[in-house]
Amino acid sequence: MTNLNVVGKSVLRQDAYEKVVGGKGFPVNISLPGMLHGKMLRSPYPHARILSIDTSRAEKLPGVKAVMTPKDVPQIIFNPIFFMPADSMAIHRDMLILSDTVRFAGQPVAAVAATTVAIAEQALSLIDVEYEELPAVFDPEDAMKEGAPEIHAGVKNNIRATPSFGAGDVEQGFKEADYVFEGTYETQRVHTCYMEPRVCVSDTDSSGHVTIYSSIAHLFGLRERLAYALGLPVSKVTAIQAPYTGGSFGSKLDLAYIEALSALLSAKTKKPVRLEHTRYEDFICNARHPMKVYLKTGVKKDGTITARYASTLCDTSAYSAHGPEVIMVHAYFGLMLGYRAPHTKWEGTVVYTNNMPGGAFRGYGAPQAAFAVESQIDEICEKLGFDPIEFRLKNTPRQGDPHPFNPEWKLGGYALDQCLTKGAERMGWSNRAKAGSASGTKKRGIGMAAHPIWVSGCVGFPDIYEHSGAIIRLNVDGTAYLSSATMDIGSGQNTTLCQIAAEELGLKFESVRMAPGNTDNLPFDAPTHASRVTYSSGNAVKVAAADAKKNLLEVAAIVMEANAADLEVRDGMITVKGAPAKAMSVADVVKRAESPFMVVGAQGPTPTTLKEKGTIMGISSVAPPANASPAVAEFVEVEVDTETGQVKVLRAVYAHDLGRVVNPAAAQGQVEGGLQQGIGYALMEQMLFDPETGACLTSDFLDYKMPTAVEMPSKIECIFIESNEPTGPYGAKSLSEACLIVPAPAIANAIYNAIGVRFHSLPITPEKILAALGKL
Amino acid sequence: MKQLIALEVNGDMHEIAVEADATLLSVLRDNLGLIGTKRGCDSGGCGCCTVHIDGKAMYSCMMYALSAQGRKITTIEGLGSAEKLDPVQDAFVKEGAVQCGYCTCGMIMTAKQLLHDNPHPVEEAIRHGIAGNLCRCTGYHKIVEAIKTAAGN
Amino acid sequence: MALVKLKEFCIPDKPEQVDACVAKYGENALILAGGSFIHGLEARGLLSEVEALVDIRKLGFAGVTAAAGGLHIGAMTTFAQLEQLPELGSAPWLGALKDALTYPPMQIKNAATVGGCLAAACPFFDIPTALLALDCKLSTNKAGAKREMNLADLFSGLFENSLEPGELIIEAKLAKPAGRAASAFIKLEGTANDLAIVNAAAYIALDGSGQCQEARITLGGGVGDNVVRSSSAEQVLLGQKLTEELLQRAADAVGQDIQPMADHRASAAYRLAMAKVFTKRALSLALSRLN
Repeated sequence: MTNLNVVGKSVLRQDAYEKVVGGKGFPVNISLPGMLHGKMLRSPYPHARILSIDTSRAEKLPGVKAVMTPKDVPQIIFNPIFFMPADSMAIHRDMLILSDTVRFAGQPVAAVAATTVAIAEQALSLIDVEYEELPAVFDPEDAMKEGAPEIHAGVKNNIRATPSFGAGDVEQGFKEADYVFEGTYETQRVHTCYMEPRVCVSDTDSSGHVTIYSSIAHLFGLRERLAYALGLPVSKVTAIQAPYTGGSFGSKLDLAYIEALSALLSAKTKKPVRLEHTRYEDFICNARHPMKVYLKTGVKKDGTITARYASTLCDTSAYSAHGPEVIMVHAYFGLMLGYRAPHTKWEGTVVYTNNMPGGAFRGYGAPQAAFAVESQIDEICEKLGFDPIEFRLKNTPRQGDPHPFNPEWKLGGYALDQCLTKGAERMGWSNRAKAGSASGTKKRGIGMAAHPIWVSGCVGFPDIYEHSGAIIRLNVDGTAYLSSATMDIGSGQNTTLCQIAAEELGLKFESVRMAPGNTDNLPFDAPTHASRVTYSSGNAVKVAAADAKKNLLEVAAIVMEANAADLEVRDGMITVKGAPAKAMSVADVVKRAESPFMVVGAQGPTPTTLKEKGTIMGISSVAPPANASPAVAEFVEVEVDTETGQVKVLRAVYAHDLGRVVNPAAAQGQVEGGLQQGIGYALMEQMLFDPETGACLTSDFLDYKMPTAVEMPSKIECIFIESNEPTGPYGAKSLSEACLIVPAPAIANAIYNAIGVRFHSLPITPEKILAALGKL
Repeated sequence: MKQLIALEVNGDMHEIAVEADATLLSVLRDNLGLIGTKRGCDSGGCGCCTVHIDGKAMYSCMMYALSAQGRKITTIEGLGSAEKLDPVQDAFVKEGAVQCGYCTCGMIMTAKQLLHDNPHPVEEAIRHGIAGNLCRCTGYHKIVEAIKTAAGN
Repeated sequence: MALVKLKEFCIPDKPEQVDACVAKYGENALILAGGSFIHGLEARGLLSEVEALVDIRKLGFAGVTAAAGGLHIGAMTTFAQLEQLPELGSAPWLGALKDALTYPPMQIKNAATVGGCLAAACPFFDIPTALLALDCKLSTNKAGAKREMNLADLFSGLFENSLEPGELIIEAKLAKPAGRAASAFIKLEGTANDLAIVNAAAYIALDGSGQCQEARITLGGGVGDNVVRSSSAEQVLLGQKLTEELLQRAADAVGQDIQPMADHRASAAYRLAMAKVFTKRALSLALSRLN
């Protein structure tokens, strides 16, 4: 695509200027007159029944305005995740805002609203709760055994769901194979570590209408789920959009206790009530699901995959929440769709335990799968002597092939081959030494991983919201306001959506501004999740902008006495094709459209026609047309200190077919940030719990370690391949999640290349490496 | 029991009644409305709350407000001027070092001292210099580049 | 998060006022120096009994005097101030202190003080390991009564020191060695912003013939309740010519003196193995500074 003026440029983020001087738009800054402060009392026990709660001492404390216990909240059983209908049959509802049964250590059992945070905290210490402790189970395999504690009544062996799917005859497929590889791959519980705490302020009026300001990543999801949990119609909840929030990475995609409790405390006190998580509360709010994957692959001598079988055990924790959904995305897009195999079968098990809730985290099940798949491919190639690039090229779909999830779609733009070959060339893959051949105590190695099929949205999955909307309004000064319910969680979608709008409208980037709204005045949008915003919301913005442009040119045609079809807009000027002298600014046209019936000019009052009148707008509400699949390959070089087991990532080359780069600098930022999270996942991050009490041992940054600037490589090279996706806005697909799906297996494979030792569980800590080297 | 204290912040004196265990962070945000200083962890682990105290970068969550009396406190609001961003702020915008932006103000305050102490740092010195500030969005790459740019490297 | 029992926040101008506050609250008065560790303890609920905080910043005790005989480091000297000392860059015998000061993040260096860091008796800190290797002596003051003690005698258990209530460290003193001496410190950490998983410092002095006449090897990071000195390792070196092979033997001997703990950051076995590796590295680095 040629002649793009705004799309493809590294325009500066609109919000950066505000953020470097303080960032007043963060939800954490919301403060309303008369606002009270809420705090939650949390259970010290991982599994217990509440026998009684005495709040009388807390209620007497001066400054305490309301105390809430399980008997004070609606007993509506809900599932907290935002992106599916609240009453969907595809999810399991098993949560209450406050329950008489505690199922994980730290589950809230009561809440207080008081005039200050300190008084609220003091009041918590005055609430007397009598618990009956129940036996707890933390290991999902133990939880399935006969005689294990029953966590939810009637759920046999704590097994929440056992989904499965397959194609062909997997036994036959393994018979056709010359070699069969199998292995078990385990991943740990990690936290997104968004920097801005979860926070909300609810203001419930005397009619019971709830207005909520929140740090969540899905405006309409918050409205729907909060209304459901409170037993209100959605029209009684207004969720206010923050201009930006301080990170989510998936974590802010479900209703937390704070949102529901602040609304209830506000209803009870008739005052706005604010709740903000401490870092400890953020840590135990939700985390990536730990999974154990068994993977078996049949391969012919020529490297063709004949069959793949996999099973996954997913610890969904104390509540169902994302568990049954995340395992499906994990299985389809993580495990099974990336490489062709005529015979496949997958079986999943989703198990309750007394662990903290699982949540969404960038990649949503795919990182757990990619670690298994990409590690095993490396094992296959090592054993059979295949080049890992050639092996992948042989077994992945190509551009124009039917989409593996739904053969009715084609892989429109799809350039995994270029990701592999260009990335390999940049990294110097052909110079890679034999595994374990490095000499000295510090050994270097190169590894790679790919993720052939990922999503730009989530078309095809049952009951997941997909559509997006946008409103464009033109101003008399020639600028435009774009409104979208998309939440900018930091990745810069407000900027890229404005670029798409500016491109379509023919305005300069600086002329388009994102104008925040709320659920009362914005069209629905699905969440900021699933790598979907550029593709799905971008399409909606493009449609709205095209609508606005059509309306603009209709007015311009009248004023300029030309055919609308002959007009074009660029940099805010409207010209007639072939007659460049005949020009009029967008500002003048909009001004004309907004003008009264009679305008007074130099020649006196002049009538305008009715046809010209009115605000020039465009509006859209559309579902994405397909599931455009991005593809990615990442190459890393590591150095392993074989005396200490420490691993340093020295260099990363990341090649990604994202269809079209809307903003190169922002795209690089996604890659670089994804690598930080990926290095953490591969090498150090893990949430740990006391095996007796279930208490979280890693609930601040002293104990939960993620990479600082020192642990990051100084060389992070991005290769963006623009395959020009036919269904995407200006050819764009998606980017964000893949940046975190591939680093861990690439690093694991590089470690293997360096020291000749294979790891089947994350994180690959220095201690694990030293033990594997026989030095412990 | 609240105590009345005087704090000098960004050149202005403020009289504030605070609880004995109030942190400088909470006073800056909740009493003075200086919301550029962010609460990220409340235990000196993330760096979002970094301010300058007598010209030195410190975690404001680790300092009691009472201990900050008599010291010159500078927050992000004290950098640059109404007309012009500080060169470090400007470099963060231009180099794309801002994503979610929650760590940004603390990171800039750290970078300010880094460049004050070492006007032309090598990359390794920059990386070690900002090791007390966590960022979850950027992988630090463009932050390091911004600091290099601000240094005129 | 809050100090729920806090009743008083004292900011004494004179040492006597410390005594008054301590007399009132006894064990429940907590001395506040740089304040860089207190919030970590507070967040873990370890300070729930504290009734008074005594901020001693106004009492002075800051600054370093470099005398011919060595260094006198005021207890309230911050890591950042200490790092500026020219002697650190030029005197090989101070190498361990110089090394240890490079690790903490800038914000901690600006806040944390030498005296506070020692009195905290935290086994995961770096400066105590370095100073113990430099045979640090302390001067303390309680109600005007001064006392001298060896740093080793300050530590009496996990997060426990042997100071009387109200007794303050006012100075840490390092005597300059007579002969050729050098020291080094090295640390194992999860990230560049971490407490030590293991750390090790080595001090060696050679006589005219190049034989080791003095050696001090210290380890921290959870290899005991406090910093540990490894006399077994030192014995291997004394009177010997320091070869790489001998340094390795010395490093291997540290296992006889340490009792590594197991926690969620590392197993005891890993700490033991790393204690040896980091002792060897510290010894090699110290030795290289003599050449």
